This record gives sequence, C-alpha cells and structure tokens, in this order.
Amino acid sequence: MRTDRVSFRAGPSVDMPLIVVAVVIVTLGLVNLYSATSVYVDSAQRARLADVYVSQIYWVVVGGLLAIVVAAIDYRHFERLANFLYLGGLLSLGFVFILGSDIRGSSRWIEIGRFAFQPSEFMKIVLILMLARFLHNDTRTEPRTIGHLLPAIGIVAVPWAAVMAQPDLGTSVIYLLIAVSMLSMNKVRRGSLLAMAGTVAAAVPLAWKYVLRDYQKARVTSFLDPEADKTGTGWHALQSQTAIGNGQLFGEGFMQGTQNQFGFLPDQYSDFPFAVFAEDWGFVGGVCLIALYAFLSIWAIHIASESKDRFGAAVAIGVGSMIFWHSVLNIGMAVGLLPVVGITLPLFSYGGSSIVTTLIGIGLLMNVSMRR
Amino acid sequence: MSFLLQRSDVGEFRRRYRWLVLVVLISFLGLIGRLVQLQLVQGDMHRAQARRNIVRERYLATTRGVIRDANGRVLAANRPSYTVYVTPSKLDLETTWPKLQKLLELDEEERKKLDERIRRVRAEALAPRAPGEKERRTEQQLLLQYDVDRDVVAWLETHEPAGVEVAPTPVRYYPYGELAAHLLGYMREVDAEALARLEGRGYRAGDRIGAIGVERRWESYLRGQRGMKKILRGLRGNLSRENVEALEAKYLEEPRRIEPVPGRDISLTIDIDLVASIERAMRGQLAGAVSVIDVRTGRILAAFSKPSFDPNVVSGGAGVAAAVDAFKRLMSDPLKPMLDKNISAAYPPGSTFKPFTALAGLADGLIDPDYEVDCRGGYQYGRRFFRCTGVHRHVDLHDAIVQSCNTYFYDLGARISIDRLAAIGLDYGFGIKTGIGINPEAKGRMPTRAWYTRRYKEAFRGGFTLLSAIGQGASTVSVLQLALAYAAIANGGTLYQPQVVRSIETSDGTVVQEFPPRVRRMVDVDAEHLRLVQKALEGVVKDRRGTANKERLEGIEMAGKTGTAQVTHVTPRGVDPEKVWYFNRDHAWFAGFWPARAPEIAIVVLVEHGGGGGKNAVPVAMRVVRDWIKLKEKRLSAQAAPGAP
Repeated sequence: MRTDRVSFRAGPSVDMPLIVVAVVIVTLGLVNLYSATSVYVDSAQRARLADVYVSQIYWVVVGGLLAIVVAAIDYRHFERLANFLYLGGLLSLGFVFILGSDIRGSSRWIEIGRFAFQPSEFMKIVLILMLARFLHNDTRTEPRTIGHLLPAIGIVAVPWAAVMAQPDLGTSVIYLLIAVSMLSMNKVRRGSLLAMAGTVAAAVPLAWKYVLRDYQKARVTSFLDPEADKTGTGWHALQSQTAIGNGQLFGEGFMQGTQNQFGFLPDQYSDFPFAVFAEDWGFVGGVCLIALYAFLSIWAIHIASESKDRFGAAVAIGVGSMIFWHSVLNIGMAVGLLPVVGITLPLFSYGGSSIVTTLIGIGLLMNVSMRR
Repeated sequence: MSFLLQRSDVGEFRRRYRWLVLVVLISFLGLIGRLVQLQLVQGDMHRAQARRNIVRERYLATTRGVIRDANGRVLAANRPSYTVYVTPSKLDLETTWPKLQKLLELDEEERKKLDERIRRVRAEALAPRAPGEKERRTEQQLLLQYDVDRDVVAWLETHEPAGVEVAPTPVRYYPYGELAAHLLGYMREVDAEALARLEGRGYRAGDRIGAIGVERRWESYLRGQRGMKKILRGLRGNLSRENVEALEAKYLEEPRRIEPVPGRDISLTIDIDLVASIERAMRGQLAGAVSVIDVRTGRILAAFSKPSFDPNVVSGGAGVAAAVDAFKRLMSDPLKPMLDKNISAAYPPGSTFKPFTALAGLADGLIDPDYEVDCRGGYQYGRRFFRCTGVHRHVDLHDAIVQSCNTYFYDLGARISIDRLAAIGLDYGFGIKTGIGINPEAKGRMPTRAWYTRRYKEAFRGGFTLLSAIGQGASTVSVLQLALAYAAIANGGTLYQPQVVRSIETSDGTVVQEFPPRVRRMVDVDAEHLRLVQKALEGVVKDRRGTANKERLEGIEMAGKTGTAQVTHVTPRGVDPEKVWYFNRDHAWFAGFWPARAPEIAIVVLVEHGGGGGKNAVPVAMRVVRDWIKLKEKRLSAQAAPGAP
C-alpha cells in the first residue's frame, strides 16, 4: 500500500483505489440507469428516457474533468478561497428565489441557457471547505463549548435556512449531517453536548409544527405506518421494497426487474436507483454496491487520517461524510428503513448537479490524498 | 486497519477515526441486514407481490342462455352492442374528436356537453402534479355513446384513433318486445344488496342479473360462468406482438386462460303467437290480464298482462338514461304496467266463483239439480235486501249459472257456512300460492269467519256469506288461480301446478332437464256434480239466455262463466279526478275452457274496469280461442308435411 505513495515533495501521486472504486460506481450507475430508463413504455416516453441516459454521460464527463481540475490545484488554495466561495454560494442560493424555476412546487434550480443547476448541491462542497477552514483555524485543545462552536453553527445555519425555504428537506438534512460529522472531530464539553442535544430534542416538535410542509409530514407519517397509506405517499416506499425483495439472491437479471420495467418504481432513475439495481442484481449485487460505498466512506477516513494538516483531514472527513450520508439515507429509504426524502445516491442517481458535486468531492479527496 | 494508528500530526482528530469507521460499518451492515430480510427471508413474498402487480385477470364474458317459446321461437337472446369510450388525456382534440362527433351524429346539445366534460377531464389529467400529491389516474375514461352503429365500429376498428376505445357489451334482446314481458322478465344491474346475497357466486359490481319473471327465477341456469384471461399490466405503446408474447410466457402462470361456460337455454311452455293474438284481442282495452293454460298438464300456453313494458328498454338496451326514464314513467303510471296481473295481483272473482259455490252446495246436499229458487230481483236477508242482476223467476242450478242469477246463490249462501265456501275455494287452489315459481304471487283471499272477526272486530254477519257465495265481499283470486281452477273443473278435478318452463338445454341443444306436469291435488268431487256444472258452463255460451251468448263466435264450442266484479270505490293516488270514474268501473271477467265437451285449454280473461263481463271479456276470450284453433291447425299441417323444419 505505501510503496506507491511518495511524499508531497516528491510530487503528487494518484490514489488508485479511490479512482478505481469511483469509476466502478459511476460505471455501474450508468449501466443501472440504462436499465432504469429502458422500461416498457411507448416510443415518445422512451425517447425522453434515452435523453436522460445520454445527458447523464455528459454530466459524468463534465464532472470528471472538474474533478481533475480540483485535484490538480493544491487544496490549501481552497482554504484561502473558502470565504469567497461561501459568499458566492449564498448569493446563488439567494438567486434561486428570484430566478429559480419550479419543479414540483419547490424552486431549487437556476437555469443558464440549456443548463439548469442546483446551487444547493454545490453549496455542500463549499460548506465542507468553509467548515474545514473553521476547524483548521481553531487551535484550541480543550473541549469546546457552545460558544466556541457558534461560528461553525452560523456557517451552517444560513445556507440551511435558505435550503429549507426552497423547500428542500433532503438537502437541508444533509447539510446538518455533514456539519455534525465534521464538528464531531472536535472534543466538545459534555455539558455543551447535552445542551445541544436538548435543544435539538426541543426543536423537533417545533419544526414539525411550524417548519415542515404538509407533504413532508406525510412522508414521515406514511413511513411510520406505510400500510395506512398504500396508495398515496407510502406507495413509493412499498413498491421500492417489493422491487428489492423481488431481486432475491441473484436478481431478476439485467433489465429484467419487473417492478422497474413495468413502471412500478416512481422516479426510478433519481430517487430509487438502488431498488432498480437490487431488483436486477439481487442480494449479491446489492451487497457489492453497499460494500463499494462503505469502502469509499472508510477510504475517505483513511485519507483524513493520513492528511498532513487539519484542513486536509477535515475536507476528507467532510467529503466522506457527504458520500456516506447520501448513500445511507438513499439506500435506507429504498429499503424502507427511512422516510422518503429526495436524497440522491452518489454517482448513481440521475442528475447533473448531484453527479458533478460528488465528482468534485472525489477530486478533493484525491487532492488531499495526493498531498500528504 | 493499521493506517488508523499511523499518522498523528492532526492530533485531536486521531481519536475520532476509529469511531467514524465504526459508525460507517454499523450503518452499512444495518442496510445489509435489511437486504437479508427483504431479499432472502421475505424474497418469495415480495416476488409474489411483484407478480401480482403486473398480472391482471381480465374476465371473459359468457353468453346468457337463450329463452325460447314452445315452438322454438327466440324470446330472449343476446345482441352484440358496442359502447364507445374516450380517454380525454389521450384524445386528439384537433382531428379525432371532430371526426367522432360526425360519426356518432351527436346533436348540438350532446356535443357541447361532452365537449365540456372531455376538456375538463383532460385539463385535470394533464395538470402538473402538486407537491406530495399522489400519482394521479390520468387514464380516466368517459362514456361517449351506447349501442354504436356497426359502420362506426368498423371505422373505429380500422383506424384505431388514440384515446378512443370500443368495448363490446352484449345486450339482452327481446325480439317480441312487450309481449309476455312480465313472464320473461328483464335484466338489471346487480345492486349492492344482491351482491351481498350472492356472495361467492361470482357476481361483480356492474354485472347484470335477471330482474323478474323467468330471467330472475332461472338466473343461475341462464347466466353461465365467466372465463378468465391473464394479461400483463403496465405494457404500453409499441411493443411487438412477439415481445409481448415472450413476456407473457415468462410472467403469466398457468392456467393463463379459462374459457367461459355459456348459460343454459330455456324452453318455455308458452306460445308467443298465442300471446300475440291475445294482444290483438285486447287492443280495445286499457288494462287487464289473460291466462291460457293446458287443462291436461297445467302448462301455461299464454300469459298476457296489460299494460306492459318493453324489456329491451328497461334492460338498458337503449342506454342507461332511457332505462331510468322508462322506469320513472312505468312506476308512476296508475295502470301499473310493471305489475304482472296474472300472478301478482288478486281481484274479486265475482260470478266466476259461482260454480264453486254450486259444487259446495251439491256436495253438502244443500241443493240438487232440481232445487229451484224464485228470483224476484233479489233476496231479503234480515233487514237487508241483496240485489240480483235482474228478475229471473224460477231458476234451478243450471239456469242460475247460465243466467248468473245472484238470488239463487244468495239463497244457497244463507244456508251454507262461509268457512265451507272458503274450504271449497282452497280445494280448487284459491287463497294459496300456485307454486309457479316466477314473480311474487298474490295468494288472494278466501275469507273465513275467523278472518272477518279478526278484521272487523265485531260480530260476524251472515250477509258476508251471501257476498262470498257470489264471489264478492272480501274474496279475491288471481287470474292464474282462476284459470287453474277452471282447468280442474274441465279435466275432472285435477289441480295442476302451473308450469312455464318446459325444458332446459345446453347451448348446443342437448336437453339437460325436462319438467313433466305436476299435479298439486285431485279435488274430491263427485263426477256427476262436475258434469252438471260443466253443462251449465256450456249453457252460458250456448243457451240463448246465457250471459256469454250474445258475444259467442260460431263454431267455437266454448264453456265458461262471465263475471262482473264490483270494485271498492276508492280513488287511486295520483289519478286525475276527471278520470276517477274509470277506476270505479267494475272488472269484467270471463273464465272458461275449450272445447266444451273434451276440454284442452282453460282461458281466463280479466278486463280491469272493463264493465260487464259478458260484453267486454267474452269477445276477447272468443277471439283468442278462435286464433288458438287456427294456430293449432297450422302447426298440425306443418307437422304433417314431410321434411318440414
């Protein structure tokens, strides 16, 4: 393992396991997307689905190029740029409200010419950089109090509020989870920890009452009792579980999963690609895919552990936690362990912004890994 | 995990890595655990559910059995009919819709109404989904037209325009329309109550079920068994035939198809030509009923109830709206067209009951053929004078029946008990159900002393017996009961169970079951007494003084009794006061048999509110019997001709 790694001074060297795993996941994702878009439908709809598949390939290429660029620039430059990126990110989130286009009732997108992108996705990377900067500059060694963490809380709170307002429950949850993961690297005073836990416990019922929209609540209630709402919100979750269960040990075979092919999986290429995959490839395929995400998450921790400074380590942990939480939440909702919120499966789900953001994250990991 | 221990230049962070790895491993192991549960433990259950999702069972309609008359004429059959539906979200409003309007010859009002509905449903179906709203049914269909023209169906099937569907819906067809409608019945959509009652017999909402008459009584035979075909669901658009077949072979379990079993055919005892001749004979009358039965078997040769209804319309053959309309009209008609006046209604028999009073008197020795009564226009009984129809002077039994002298029977009524009259009535099948099996039966009433006491809560008066003796008072009978009783007089005292169904056949004509005549009882009657009454009934027509003599037809040897039944003066609800006089007119009866000497058929004619029986009911009976004789001759010569079909 260590023989192919040389010190920073000897010049950067490529992290092969990271690249291989990322390429394998992306490839499986494209193959799976092909299956997900080949459902038995009429020609007009098929043409639209073919577009989905082709545009995903474009996005993979774009994201790959961006990843190379990001990997090439020494990550310490990003530390200095973090402030500006953060400001830019907040501005673009603001733009969403002015220019944003509605998709299913929430404005998340900015359109530039033919392209539409979601600032909230890119904001994840910016948030990671900004929090890493905070951790990097925090030289204290004693357990932190709430007061010490206040700047970091502020860093998350502003974009979080903007995303909640769109409204985009999934992304806002991801912001919080990334932040908690990264800040957990610090020692926090036990009393402060309890106080924060208490605050969260108190905030949940308030958020339920005043912040969450009805359809978001419906997702949670139907998750808690899916049988009660078999035709409504709970339907998606049940169909996904049926699809996965239908895969059994070896799967129905590529493009043979009936739940997908006969159109019983809603949003099969964005929200439920795992169900498509597990139906086609069965338990064997599902475990392999989960293992790949587990590897990616643990490899990110490994990169962090080998990082030469706190900024690099924090960035690696941030990117790792982003991939980890995305994959756990997405698969968790596909298998029916978590409520259905729109969280993508990294490198697997259809969606330009998602795939480009994840690939940029991989680029950052590569960056840190190369410069130890 | 040696790498976790190696670097320490990020001090504080180092202690966390182990925990992070642990969290990651536990989380993913948890997901794998769930996969074990879903895919390995519950895999079979989920696969079964996945198959259920894509497999639909389509029902294959069966054909209802055909109903024929005694001579093989089809009385109820099935007619293919086509209903056109549109799916507004898929319909081309620019080309297809205007073309449809032209083809279906929609009038301006219909066009506007449909146009509006189509556009509304289309707008709803195509509107963007609101957040959190569940998947919407975008394929809602609208019914465009019932019973579409063949040419239109042909056009639609060759062009297959998007969003238009032609669904074959077999419709029950009654070629003879209103003739014998009450006996045949009609079809209606099965309601929730019937669905619950028939649970487990394969009825589904929207199915049609026999409503009255034979259609209802023999429903389980006529209906047949629907078949089933499994199809794949979720396949849309341009899949080639081979593709679909390959998928079906893969996903559909055997049996993939169960053929429907057609219903049994039923042959009736009635002769529709005779019913048609009754209809012609009754054209001059507003309302009434006629029963003709074979005195040797109890089989019903014809049953006619007027006014009637068209079972084609009430079965929905002309569309739901037309059926609902027809029902509204039929139900509010004071002449009660939906009522089977042969079976389901009871009327005072009037003088047609006199032969039974006479038989009771003879049996009890209260009268003999020579016993005479001097009729001076009525009978003084206590403080009341009971009127006769005229002044007949000295009448014996024969004369009393021929001239329908009330006084003679008042005299007998004064000496006989009312319970004895009720008993002889019961002997001949009055006051109890005939057991025909179709349609609700009116039992009629043979009042007894006990009945009067219960009813009026005061001392029984002898006058009631006098009224019963002439078939008035509280006595009521149904047309069918009277026909069966006269058949018993004609055939020497055998009371048959009336029969409508002669045999049941499979759709290829093999007889499954035949129904031989069934005797209900042999009436205990002296043959000599019966002969006396038969002779008197012959005199009613033949004798110059007979009440039916004026209306007789030459060459028709008929025997029978006229009756003019008084009606309780009440005003039926919803009747125009100007027309109340009609409902207060007497019912006209004729009950008899033919030929007088060797009877074959019994006939009862009731003209509701027709007035005098001799003048109004007898001509109908005469014409019907005349036509029956002609029909019989025609049938005989057809049979005699070699090679005749």
